Amino acid sequence: MKFARSHFIFSKWKTVLAASALSLALTACGGTTSTGTQSPQGTSASSSDTLKVGMILSATGTFAPLTESIRNGFQLYLDQHNGMLGGRKVEIKFEDDQEDPQVALRKYRQLVSSDKVDILVGPISSAVAYALRDGVEKDKIVLIDPNAAANDLSWKQKSDYIYRVSFSNWQNGSSVAKYIAQNIGKSAVTIAPDYPAGREVIQAFKAAFEASGGKVVKELYPKLGTNDFATYLTTIAQTKPDVVYSFETGSDGIRFVKQYADFGLKGKIPLTGTLELGDNLILDPAGDAAEGIISGVLYTPWLENNVNQTFVTSYQKKYNKLPNIFAVDGYDAAQVIDLAITKAGSTRSDDLIKVLKGISFNSPRGPVTIDPKTNNPIENFYVAKNVKLDGKIVPQVSQTIPNVTMPETPSPAAQ
Amino acid sequence: MSLSILFVQILTGLAYGMLYFMIAAGLTIILGVMNVVNLAHGTFFLIGAYVAYTLVSKHLGFWLALILSVGVTAILGLVIERLLIHRVYGKELEQVLLTFGLTFMLSDAAKWIWGTDIQTIPVPRVLDFSISVGSVDFPAYRLFIVAVGGALAVILWLLENRTRIGAIIRAGVDDRAMVTALGINVGAVFTGVFAFGAALAGLGGVLGGPLIGVYTGLDGDILVTSLIVVTVGGLGSWKGPFVGALLIGLMDTLGKVWFPSFSMLVIFLLMVVILLIRPRGLFGREVAP
Repeated sequence: MKFARSHFIFSKWKTVLAASALSLALTACGGTTSTGTQSPQGTSASSSDTLKVGMILSATGTFAPLTESIRNGFQLYLDQHNGMLGGRKVEIKFEDDQEDPQVALRKYRQLVSSDKVDILVGPISSAVAYALRDGVEKDKIVLIDPNAAANDLSWKQKSDYIYRVSFSNWQNGSSVAKYIAQNIGKSAVTIAPDYPAGREVIQAFKAAFEASGGKVVKELYPKLGTNDFATYLTTIAQTKPDVVYSFETGSDGIRFVKQYADFGLKGKIPLTGTLELGDNLILDPAGDAAEGIISGVLYTPWLENNVNQTFVTSYQKKYNKLPNIFAVDGYDAAQVIDLAITKAGSTRSDDLIKVLKGISFNSPRGPVTIDPKTNNPIENFYVAKNVKLDGKIVPQVSQTIPNVTMPETPSPAAQ
Repeated sequence: MSLSILFVQILTGLAYGMLYFMIAAGLTIILGVMNVVNLAHGTFFLIGAYVAYTLVSKHLGFWLALILSVGVTAILGLVIERLLIHRVYGKELEQVLLTFGLTFMLSDAAKWIWGTDIQTIPVPRVLDFSISVGSVDFPAYRLFIVAVGGALAVILWLLENRTRIGAIIRAGVDDRAMVTALGINVGAVFTGVFAFGAALAGLGGVLGGPLIGVYTGLDGDILVTSLIVVTVGGLGSWKGPFVGALLIGLMDTLGKVWFPSFSMLVIFLLMVVILLIRPRGLFGREVAP
């Protein structure tokens, strides 16, 4: 009896350990594997009037909301143009890379070799962008980057075949640095997730902030996916800087903003940050806690220009919510493909890259030009303060920072 | 580090520990009594949180939403146990595959229903204030979580030691065959235990909503932590997950203060050390040689 019992408990225990290991492994791999292939037109492989667009984005994990927005924006542009880009019917092949460069490479191979797509849109993650870069260069296929923000895609890893329509970490970090130094305070504590993008954003901020007479007195790097910022918030309370500058996105950003208020720092030390802190993705769930934050945004649904008004109206009609910057990036990815094909009169990569360098378009965020030196957009940023209007927190633009760009090579401060 | 700051960190660690306790308690009871490794347990946490989010945004108020969503997860647990889990008792591999498959299906269903946008549940109005502790404030809601966790520990202790159900459950952990032989309807007990465990996870989800938000992938995050808690605490009693969860909560928070770059490592090191010294976890029953 005794033996049977211990054996029973032992086997139970082995199962716990095995299960823990299994779930850890699977979580690390990115969880679910859902792959959707969307093909509105069931046309044959290489008919000259069909444009095959391969999309590699991250539909599972932290980046899922971004992917959804980018796809929504892209689809909206198609809807507005009879499902055509550059006069050709569009067929979209969608692949989920699960934020994993290895998975992305496999999906990339599939899209290029078996699906034979004409052009690629993606990815979300910078690590994936680096992984795809050499293949794209070798296969000579144009990649329109609607999100991955790593600086080096415009510097050492720059490729004639990769064009970013969104923004780089450099731009996101430096946009409001001068404004903060001149208008809010000279000593700053920065907080950003401990991964390459977090460090790149803070480097850019620090360089621009200190060039304008400010001083970063402390840099905090919590790990990505931090539940609790109590530790960091108490450090900030003890350091007592003039201002806090933060780059926290997704669920981390929401928790950070809420806890900043919960721990009594809101109203005591001004909170500033990157465009994420002025975007609906964070503002809606964070609610009142987000009031008063000053950020450098690239887009708000309330920007006054013709393109944006139409964009917002039709976006709301189709998806029943307000667009965010990522939806705009998806919309512009479609727009830039449309313009490039029309201008080049061809879908051949070598014709497209001639017109993509220096191409200009009217985005819902304002005029955008792809800088031929960096293959990265030159665009306006806006100083926005989150205010409460009709019970809802919205970013209110007070000032335009025109033609924000990034240097052609890494500056000494960024190395 | 000043004393008040240390105090705030400890409170923070306790609040997280209590959340982990709520989910790990269910996990360990289901595992201890039914010998089922329920990998779908994190999903109950997620669904509890999402249901509460929906109810709160329909202006039902936090407290009613809390009760209803705990009820919903309990019913969901009941249905899943009756329809699926009871078919795989004693088959460990099948259980792992079934419950793991369930997490995929349920979390994809959640994605389909609630979308991928990150949501949070607002802190209930009566608790939406902060208490000043030296140079910083501490949110009252976290103290509330600590209190609920403490109350839950007391309730579980009473259930385990003072009630017939507790006696049956304790007996079931030790010798299931004998309990059946005594004429107790083990099937019904199992269904009840499973639903109760699911309800506890749902409770954790609702209470955790204002703290950590509700988002795709939350179920996986929470499952991993609670499996660590169960591993550290050991099976068979409420004490295991309680002490394990508080230990993990505190180590996680204080690890971040003292070793900011590798706080996750601190938790795993703790787990390894405990497994080396006490291979069944802190309160796991010792195996006779």
